[in-house]
Amino acid sequence: MSGVLPLAEVADTSVFGSKAVGLGEAVRAGLPVPDGFALSGQTVEQVAAGDEATVSAVIGTVRPLGGPLAVRSSAADEDGADASFAGQHLTLLNVPTVDALPPALAEIWWSANSDSAISYRKRVGLFTRPSVAVVVQRLLDPETAGVMFTRNPVTGADERMIEASLGLGEAVVAGLVIPDSYRLDREGNALERRPGLKRIAIRRKEGGGTFEEEVPAAAAEQHCLGDDDLAALSGLARRCEEVYGPGRDIEWAIADGTLYLLQCRAVTR
Amino acid sequence: MAGAPVEALRRVPLFADLDSDELHQVALLFKKRHFVQGETVMREGTDGAAFFLIEAGEASVSVAGSARANLHAGDHFGEIALIDEGVRSATITAVSELDCYGLTYWEFRPLLLANGAIGLKLLQSLAQKLRSAEAS
Repeated sequence: MSGVLPLAEVADTSVFGSKAVGLGEAVRAGLPVPDGFALSGQTVEQVAAGDEATVSAVIGTVRPLGGPLAVRSSAADEDGADASFAGQHLTLLNVPTVDALPPALAEIWWSANSDSAISYRKRVGLFTRPSVAVVVQRLLDPETAGVMFTRNPVTGADERMIEASLGLGEAVVAGLVIPDSYRLDREGNALERRPGLKRIAIRRKEGGGTFEEEVPAAAAEQHCLGDDDLAALSGLARRCEEVYGPGRDIEWAIADGTLYLLQCRAVTR
Repeated sequence: MAGAPVEALRRVPLFADLDSDELHQVALLFKKRHFVQGETVMREGTDGAAFFLIEAGEASVSVAGSARANLHAGDHFGEIALIDEGVRSATITAVSELDCYGLTYWEFRPLLLANGAIGLKLLQSLAQKLRSAEAS
């Protein structure tokens, strides 16, 4: 089905959105991306409309992923839309099975067609019909996760900046914790390690969704990344810059001891 | 294909003059939307994007913080946004789990542009509303 492709085959931003295409490039370059598929904006719309043939085709194609799933929007309207629509278009973590995918896709479609999303579009001068493609991936159960800049976004210094916390990376992205922070030189040598205060970890909830797990006080203030983790992250930063160019903003996770790339985009701040 | 039930749409004043074939065309454009209990369905003063017809559940209507009515299966709200994209005149909140059929103006407009007869009937319906408002 042309509206649902394995990430490795995704290349058209106008159909699948910039997030999906960025992940497709990463898979083709051999970067460690969790298995997944991209669904076109039209496919998401047909599923939201209850088109039985499309629903059946999507479920059949995506079923090999099993579950649970991470379902993320990938705005397909215009270049760079993902960043500008952050917070408008929904991300659903821990959709428990492939069979629960159609209502999740409908929810994401409506998030792009809600009153608040339409108001936002008008404010930024967009008067075209929204189109929201989607990335569906196997959801990890990470020990640690976070973000990494391949260049210091504040000073411009040629160093890697890493923020890390326990559990799913949304705790860092949403600012729910004070993450551990690390600075590395380009060779991967640690220039600074500063422990944070990670009072909660976002975990997968039984039956779907996520919850905030309280972190014991000792673990909250301990470094959650060791030397091997930092070496792996340094290697990932180097590979991402080789593939995409300098100045990357990376989301990553470590699950069962393996480092994964969740998103890689240009630094915008 | 899903869509909203034609008989329920027939009871919406805006669509009252449409014949069965026209109602069927409108009905096919609807998508189901679920709201969880307590969720704000629409907020007074914000831009409106869609019209909703309640399939199941209950919603409350308030204006300037004052409760006005409760809505149930078969009731509808937000239809004027389909025409003018204007701001919401009331806040609607899901009192229970709420299942609706929703239609955005993005999807409604092309039907109006392609079918002048439907557009004319909606104009007549709106004109009647205007006359009623002027008379009251």
